Amino acid sequence: MQPDEEVLRVENMSKRFGPVTALRDINLHLCKGEVLGLLGDNGAGKSTLMKIISGFHKPDSGRLFVKGEETELRSVVHARSLGIDCVYQDLALINELSVYHNMFLKREKVLRPIPLLANGAMKREARAALDEIGVTVPRLNVPVARLSGGQRQAIAVARTVNSDADIILLDEPLAAMGAKEGAMILDLVARLRAEGRVSIIMIAHNYVHVLQSCDRVNLIQDGQITFDKPTGETSVEELNEIVVEEYRRARAAISGA
Amino acid sequence: MRFLTLREGSIIVVTVIVAVYFTIVNDRFFTHANFITLLPYFAPFAILAAGEVLLMVAGEIDLSIGSVYLFAPFMFYEFNQWGFALVPCLILALLCCLVVGLINGIFTEVIGVSSFITTLGMLLGLGGLTLVISHAAPVAMPGAEVTTKTVNVTHVINGQTVVLQEKVNEIGTFAKIFGGGTYSELIWALIIVGLVQVILSLTRWGMYTIAVGGNKHGAAEAGIRVRAVVMRNFVICSLFAGLVGILEAVRASSVTPDTSGAAETMFRAVSAAVIGGTLLAGGEGTAIGALFGALFLGILRDGLTLQGVNADYLDFILGAAILIAMVINVYVGRVRKGSGRAA
Repeated sequence: MQPDEEVLRVENMSKRFGPVTALRDINLHLCKGEVLGLLGDNGAGKSTLMKIISGFHKPDSGRLFVKGEETELRSVVHARSLGIDCVYQDLALINELSVYHNMFLKREKVLRPIPLLANGAMKREARAALDEIGVTVPRLNVPVARLSGGQRQAIAVARTVNSDADIILLDEPLAAMGAKEGAMILDLVARLRAEGRVSIIMIAHNYVHVLQSCDRVNLIQDGQITFDKPTGETSVEELNEIVVEEYRRARAAISGA
Repeated sequence: MRFLTLREGSIIVVTVIVAVYFTIVNDRFFTHANFITLLPYFAPFAILAAGEVLLMVAGEIDLSIGSVYLFAPFMFYEFNQWGFALVPCLILALLCCLVVGLINGIFTEVIGVSSFITTLGMLLGLGGLTLVISHAAPVAMPGAEVTTKTVNVTHVINGQTVVLQEKVNEIGTFAKIFGGGTYSELIWALIIVGLVQVILSLTRWGMYTIAVGGNKHGAAEAGIRVRAVVMRNFVICSLFAGLVGILEAVRASSVTPDTSGAAETMFRAVSAAVIGGTLLAGGEGTAIGALFGALFLGILRDGLTLQGVNADYLDFILGAAILIAMVINVYVGRVRKGSGRAA
């Protein structure tokens, strides 16, 4: 297997929501085992892009290649069957369901021949998966509403990492996390990166985190990818400068109008 | 105390307290005869409430069950008039209810009208349609006819055997199963409540229902087909309502197109579900709770009637009792969540 084998490629993708253009013309690629950091202002289109790649939204135009084959994603379940899974910014956790039911949502284990939920098996596997990541959740049968923001985030990440997915999308996995829990997630990303089995796109706001955890950085501005460099060839200063420039232009536009 | 933290724990305790109270103050309450009297006060409502629970957990509500309840026996009657046998009539009438549920689901999930408005419209519209179909006149329920037959009964008097002819009233097997038999409605209620409880707590369907009611957007992101889940629950809710309508019509052996009575039936069923611990906001609910909610309302009505409470006061006392039961529910709910947050 070549090290630079592409697992994901997006070409000329656009998406509008009514009058709002979320994505103008996105071109992006992801290599096997790579961690790609995706930066961008609020509203630049990061989450929309994630939701298209995860099969939640359908793009208006553009092409998507998954593991070399052009694909039109029909649904989240379809994307998942191709190995793509996403940890959404809002986590997609169900407060009323228990920790282990959330971990297995839409991937439930059922008994045979009567398809009742195999709660025991799911609980055991959830425990093992959380232990492996290093998340401490005292009881798995409590509703996730009872957990802290960081624990919830960790469960959402564990759910995706524990699946069969080999293309993982992380939409701001460090939001709502304390320093300790954040470090745990970054450790996990580092471990996955070292193993090289899965490829990851991670949205983040902290440049230091991106430079530490990612192989390459893409910047999305106004629905387009405007910057694409390996992390080794850029710096916090350069990234800062781009964003400061963006602010400057925005302010000029406001005062100009 | 652990028991009280169950979702249905508080209503079970409240129901037992009310039953014990009536047993103490009235020696006619805890009798077999009164138990039989009590059955129609709660069994039909338990079935209606179980369907409502399924839908309310998904975050929606169906007000149209009142009219479906009335519509089904009239469709049954119409199909019978066209020459269908009883069982096909039942199936066809229930199919009509299924269509009603499907329409409710389409308006709510595809067009995007809130379920409260959709089903309010359906409550009125279908009630009206029932009046049109029935020409606002009551009909005798087919299959519920009472037949009298003469049987020879052997008596032994002073050692002498005497055979006398006696007349015995009978209803058909269909009627015995579908509402006419003494325990028919109770058995249906227990089966359906058990079924809904298993669906909610032990199947994927139930898990998705909770997920949709708790976090609709999150459920969709997780890949759950939200529309399908909600529509399926609308259909089931409608089917249960239709079944209860037919059971009740067979039990009474006739049916009157009383639309305001139908609306009241709906309100009692929704009350039973809510008193039982199901949240109107969705995400949480229990069919066993709904059964006890219906039982609580039934016992209260039956007990107060036995006590000779003036009919004028009955609804007033019922209303107050519902509020008190709900206050207890909310309080217990807070304890259960352990976060001091209102349920």
